[in-house]
Amino acid sequence: MSLEELAFLVLAGIAIGTALAALLVRELVHTILWISVFFVALSAIYFLLQADFLGILQLGVYAGAVTILLLFGVMVTRKRIFSREAATGIGPFPLALALVSVVILAGVASGLPTQPASVQTYAPAMLSQELFTTDGGWLVLLGLTMLSALAGAIYLVREGRE
Amino acid sequence: MDPVSWTWFLPEAFLLGAALLVFLLDVLGVEKLEAFGAVAVGATALSLLAVVADLGFTPLSFLSTLPPSVVDSGGGATSLYAFSSLGLVFQGVFLSSALLVSLASLSRPSHEKGAAVFYGLLLMATLGMMLVAVSADLIFLLLAIEVTGIATYLMVGYTRKDARGLEAAMKFYIIGALSTALSFFGASLLFGAFGSTNLLVLSQGLGGISNHSLALVGYAFLIVGLGFKVTLVPFHAWAVDVYDGAPTDVSAFLAGGTKKMGVFAFFLVFIGPLSILTVRAVNCTGTVCIAPYDFRPTVELTLGLLAIVTMTLGNVLALLQKEMKRMLAYSSISQAGYMMIGIAIGTAPALAGATLQILAHVFMKAGAFLVVAGVSALGVGPLIAQYRGLGQRRPYLGVAFALMLLSLAGIPLTVGFVSKFILFSAAVQASTVAGQSFFFWLAVAGLLNSALSVFYYARVLKVMYMESPDASVPLDGPAGDPTGGLGYGRSAAILLAVVAIVALGVYPQPVFSAIQAAATHFVASGA
Amino acid sequence: MTDFVVAQFVGLSAALLGIGLFGILTRRNFILLLIAIEIAINAAVLNFVYFAGFATGPGGVSGQAAAVVIVGLAATEVAVGLAIVLALNRQRGSINVAEATTLRQ
Repeated sequence: MSLEELAFLVLAGIAIGTALAALLVRELVHTILWISVFFVALSAIYFLLQADFLGILQLGVYAGAVTILLLFGVMVTRKRIFSREAATGIGPFPLALALVSVVILAGVASGLPTQPASVQTYAPAMLSQELFTTDGGWLVLLGLTMLSALAGAIYLVREGRE
Repeated sequence: MDPVSWTWFLPEAFLLGAALLVFLLDVLGVEKLEAFGAVAVGATALSLLAVVADLGFTPLSFLSTLPPSVVDSGGGATSLYAFSSLGLVFQGVFLSSALLVSLASLSRPSHEKGAAVFYGLLLMATLGMMLVAVSADLIFLLLAIEVTGIATYLMVGYTRKDARGLEAAMKFYIIGALSTALSFFGASLLFGAFGSTNLLVLSQGLGGISNHSLALVGYAFLIVGLGFKVTLVPFHAWAVDVYDGAPTDVSAFLAGGTKKMGVFAFFLVFIGPLSILTVRAVNCTGTVCIAPYDFRPTVELTLGLLAIVTMTLGNVLALLQKEMKRMLAYSSISQAGYMMIGIAIGTAPALAGATLQILAHVFMKAGAFLVVAGVSALGVGPLIAQYRGLGQRRPYLGVAFALMLLSLAGIPLTVGFVSKFILFSAAVQASTVAGQSFFFWLAVAGLLNSALSVFYYARVLKVMYMESPDASVPLDGPAGDPTGGLGYGRSAAILLAVVAIVALGVYPQPVFSAIQAAATHFVASGA
Repeated sequence: MTDFVVAQFVGLSAALLGIGLFGILTRRNFILLLIAIEIAINAAVLNFVYFAGFATGPGGVSGQAAAVVIVGLAATEVAVGLAIVLALNRQRGSINVAEATTLRQ
């Protein structure tokens, strides 16, 4: 087992553990802490894959912006902030569904090559070339979603004059 | 394929320009609903004319910027968009629903808060749907769906002071985000299996890890993700609550417009020239070779079963509803089942039938929701029983509503009959091919369901015409108003819907032959 | 050049998707729902990033581009979700989805 593979397994364990912890801990603020660790772990995996740009993006957008946004949400909707709502009880059906999807995917994964293969790496220049020329339409569409999000979200939260 | 030119996107440009104008007017402090409404109605009408011109309607050809050589020429291996004539037909469908809704919303209270946001988001949502219709790339497709998605979540909640609308927005948002996550997950698995997100490349099965089970799981996630958008049955529960809680004009747009976007996404991914279901030839990259592999039978059976379950459950639950909007919502779910028949069969006649059904559904369902919005503005409650005597007190409105319901039930001389007839006969026709007798049962299930649906539509008609009016409800509207409190915009929209229902029901030939040609192109270029 | 096993990555993203789905289906607090959805979307992003690495075809880098776009989209979605929840919070003083029951009959 190479050092990289070992590092990946450790990071994967951290990611799974923190994702679970984020959903299961009792305090909402702790949830935010765990989820930020989760985002950082994923970012480390991207660095490990030498997808540096994605790693930085993950750190900036998720570990930075989204985490702060969520924290902000918790702060503003202050009601019962430090305690979770009463446990909702985990119904058997959703659990089964989530489990089935994981089992199927795990089955698929076991059919995939288990030999280590070298991964391709892409220079950020190549990525930006792709992002701004061939796949430029994606960015345009992303811009359109952001336009409606901006207009609608500002309207929803701004204090009405009525 | 010619190099892409931005001028091809003229209809989309009208919508984007209008949306920006509306947002700008809002920032500048304009507060008149009519101003925003006029911009929206004008832009959707212009855009609709441009799409009709692109379809080859010569009197309007000065509006067409799309060279005919581009239409139906398919996409390249790296192109994000491809213009198909069926896609253009669907653009027409989306624009019709947007036009009806923006016209009807002109009759909302003049100084209502949020009119700018409502109209701006309506235009943005329509823009997203238009872009879905020209996608040739899975990520582009999902992002375009998301443009519509984000706009519609916010539209549902735009009343802002209305807790019911906001709750509906929250449910819609959660379901929408879940569907986004699942669709993108499916797309990522397909990317892994085939090494690209371009539909053309996917349909050729080049590159990637080349694993069929990975691809099959990818399809499953994609079906689930898109299934939420189309309200297929295991993923339908949100629709009723959202259609019920949203402002009724927005429900009209959701049921009449955005749902069809999901249907077209199904067309694009699973049927059209870029259908990814059949890996058609042996492809080798390096040392890895992919054998030809046909996913169609598996996916066909899945979609067919989903169609049957969707129609049946939708109809049975509609039968049990006491509230008008919830009944219409369930009926909308069952209509999605009919559309899925066309997708499961995937032949040109079936596709044409489904497309006509979708076009008809815009006028029937959006029209019905617009009537409900108008009637509830008069002070009638949400229950079906509260519509009693509507047909006697408001003869014109009653006839319009009755026509929409009869068309939904599929009574002859309405477009609902024509589209169902074509769809079911296409199913019977397809079932004569060896090994596809399964399709016959799709037609049978469709017929039985149509019969079942007559019951709940007839119940509404009975209430409207056979029961005496409730004198305490001011059904007549303010005195001296020729539209009886409906407003000119809403009356025009309802009239437009009724004219379309009757005209397409009596003389469907010109429109249907255009749809048929488009569907034939769509299927043939992929075979 | 570093060497990795594809199967392990698929396993990780499957697990993350499962956790996300589990959260979406069982949690009732809106913030937790948002987080669960983010976990599921992150599974998709992770897929795109490592499949881009393992791609043999010419279009591999488009996977990373897709990942970039999806990250942006997810952030937009969180913002919209929070806007809805803040508006509702002002109405209700509660962000519990289970309490949003006006619509249930």
